[in-house]
Amino acid sequence: MQGMKQNSLVKKIGINRIVLCGVLLLMYALFCTFIKGFFGTARIMNILNYAYFLGFLSLGVTFVIATGGIDFSIGPVMFCAALISGYCLTVHGVPMALSLFISILVGFLFGVFNGYLVAFWNVPPFIVSMASMNIAKGLASVFTKTQSVSWPQAADEVNGWFRGLVKVNGFPTGLVILLAVAVVCAIVLNKTHAGRYILSLGSNKEAVRLSGVNVKKWEMLAYILCGTLAGIAAIFFVAAYTTVQPGYGDSYNNEAIAGCVMGGTSMAGGTASIGGAMIGVFIIALLQEGILALGFNKNYQLIITGLIVIVAVYVDIVMRRRKN
Amino acid sequence: MGEIILEMKQIDKSFPGVHALDHVDFAVRKGEVHALMGENGAGKSTLMKVLTGIYSKDSGSIVYEGREVAFHNPREAQEAGVVIVHQELNMVGHLTVAQNIFIGREFKKGVGIDDKRMNEEAAKLFERLRIHIDPTETMSKLTVGKQQMCEIAKAISHDAKVIVFDEPSAALTETEIEELFKIIRDLREQGLGIVYISHRMDEIKVITDRVTVMRDGCYVGTLITEECTKDDIINMMVGRVIYEDPKAKSRVAPDAPVVLKVEHLNAGKMVQDVSFELRKGEILGFSGLMGAGRTETARAIFGADEKESGEVFVNGKKVDIRTPQDAVKCGIGYLSEDRKRFGIVVQKTIAENSTMASLKRFMKGPFIDKRQERTATQAYVDSLATKTPSVDQLVVNLSGGNQQKVVIAKWLIRNCDILIFDEPTRGIDVGAKNEIYKLMNRLVEEGKSIIMISSEMTEILRMSDRILVMCEGKKTGEIAIEEASQEAIMNMATREIQV
Repeated sequence: MQGMKQNSLVKKIGINRIVLCGVLLLMYALFCTFIKGFFGTARIMNILNYAYFLGFLSLGVTFVIATGGIDFSIGPVMFCAALISGYCLTVHGVPMALSLFISILVGFLFGVFNGYLVAFWNVPPFIVSMASMNIAKGLASVFTKTQSVSWPQAADEVNGWFRGLVKVNGFPTGLVILLAVAVVCAIVLNKTHAGRYILSLGSNKEAVRLSGVNVKKWEMLAYILCGTLAGIAAIFFVAAYTTVQPGYGDSYNNEAIAGCVMGGTSMAGGTASIGGAMIGVFIIALLQEGILALGFNKNYQLIITGLIVIVAVYVDIVMRRRKN
Repeated sequence: MGEIILEMKQIDKSFPGVHALDHVDFAVRKGEVHALMGENGAGKSTLMKVLTGIYSKDSGSIVYEGREVAFHNPREAQEAGVVIVHQELNMVGHLTVAQNIFIGREFKKGVGIDDKRMNEEAAKLFERLRIHIDPTETMSKLTVGKQQMCEIAKAISHDAKVIVFDEPSAALTETEIEELFKIIRDLREQGLGIVYISHRMDEIKVITDRVTVMRDGCYVGTLITEECTKDDIINMMVGRVIYEDPKAKSRVAPDAPVVLKVEHLNAGKMVQDVSFELRKGEILGFSGLMGAGRTETARAIFGADEKESGEVFVNGKKVDIRTPQDAVKCGIGYLSEDRKRFGIVVQKTIAENSTMASLKRFMKGPFIDKRQERTATQAYVDSLATKTPSVDQLVVNLSGGNQQKVVIAKWLIRNCDILIFDEPTRGIDVGAKNEIYKLMNRLVEEGKSIIMISSEMTEILRMSDRILVMCEGKKTGEIAIEEASQEAIMNMATREIQV
């Protein structure tokens, strides 16, 4: 680094995030060049729709991974929240605003459940989240009697307004909301004592505990944030895709985690980047749109995101080893 | 005693900042039990690790059975017949005795494992040792003593010619120790060379033929056990040279208020009925051998581990400390012996580590006031003379002494009046050691009170106003600095130990 004075802006954003941004733009350029009609607002809107819900999931799981934990239940929890609240809305006639609240509440409760077991009972996060993944799927099926739920269209006079969360007259309101929430998350992670403790306990929990910090509380909080954000993700999922089916949702775990680790959050805990996770999410969303546009089905996307997680984690391990 | 089977000559080994072995000589004869003794950190374990290839030596030579050898790992040593029976047993609990003994070199029968033959072979080994253990029993169901017998059986199954016992009796009952001694005597009859590492003076007299003493990484001398007394050995272990002058007398007035009082503290086997008082402005030294229960006592007081019973009073008021949080609220800070694991978060900055225990004070509304955090940290970086270019430096980049200062700063920023220093200078070079000593003296002058756990005798004598000695989880003595001597402390530290 001698001789080459680093730009403070570059330093602040982080060189790997700039590279990641470059990758995102390059991929977009490649898709536009090689796929006819890829360029244009229609594709962009598709990509954004995918990025919204995935973005909220990824933001949430970033907090959990920062503690050194993992949450494999976010996808099914998102579906569970969308199904339970949608069923309340369409079958029980619960008002829209309350239904949206129920969705967030379901996510929140799963966060409390996961966080309590991990932090207070010391059950490994892997086991807890695997179990609650199945609980979420089962619960949603029981609640909806295994029926899929369709949320109202934009044209619906009473309840159609909620679609405005993602788009108003072609304007991507969802992007504004997602980025605003991301900024809040970044502030929580980097500027508040909650974020400080979450990151520190991910790095050395015992040392933080012996400093007289209530580590259980802060570890649980990470899972609660994660669950709540999955509940919010559910709203953006149905606002974009209308229909949810019980029994699914697990494939989004991997995609959200992929976005998160690609952005520089270490699976070992202790370091996390909200901005990186956002870029990672957009890469995943772009990739899925590109794969569909190329005529491949969703299965190829599963393969690719699976590989991305492995590569991203491996890169993190290599970087860490080099540092030591 | 027969001819020399193993001879280590002029073995030298350095770690960054520490000269662990300084041209050490050590020889074992066939058919002898040779004790290797020394204080904690004298270099016994390092010497044995060099022997079995866990560490490589910087210089010197090892002659085994008449030719020079250099084992690269314990496996090579084992195959050549040099085996260590460790203090902590390396057994797989859910496998059978025979499966454990032959792990990694199972007898094959086609593609499968020939359990029947392994059981037969194991039975033969036990016959040779004249002990009764069922080879088909699950390992975890055996007592620690029996497990150790299996470890020995495993050693002789390698056709061992030299067996090193690393504190074998630490976890054994009296009858088990007797059985162990019977086996060791048998092995000696069979012409094996036995190295016996132990702190237990009485055992040394009973079982060994010769004693080699090490101190501070140096070879001190070898005695014939029959011809020496316990005091001879202790004198060699502690040495007559004292590097720093011990404190002549306590600076604490006898009527200074008691800031911490612990009564009948119990926490597992390692903390049994410990009571003591700490006065304002005092450094209370906790002395004892490794595993005496000093760290466990400190952790129980601090709420890091659960305690079973006992009362703690801070400034005369009874307190109920269940978690470190409670302890910190009472103004108690704990500096762990293992900084990396329990003291610091290495991937965070000095500022972040320094305010870890008192972050609430640095909040401005919901946000951390990073400027105030830096200013406060900088003040302690200056006053403790922590060597760092900036408070934003990651602590991973600091030396051991400077990391220790960051942990001290953490408790000072929290305004803790009672500080527990657990091995405060472990792994710290001499210059930084003196700084830490000066700092501790300054802290007590300012009215703080310190409990200092240390395994270094010179450190205990130099720093303490009063010394509490523990052995095997019990307090075995308390001695004013005016009456303290290395010999007196060592006597107390080995007092409970009996055969």
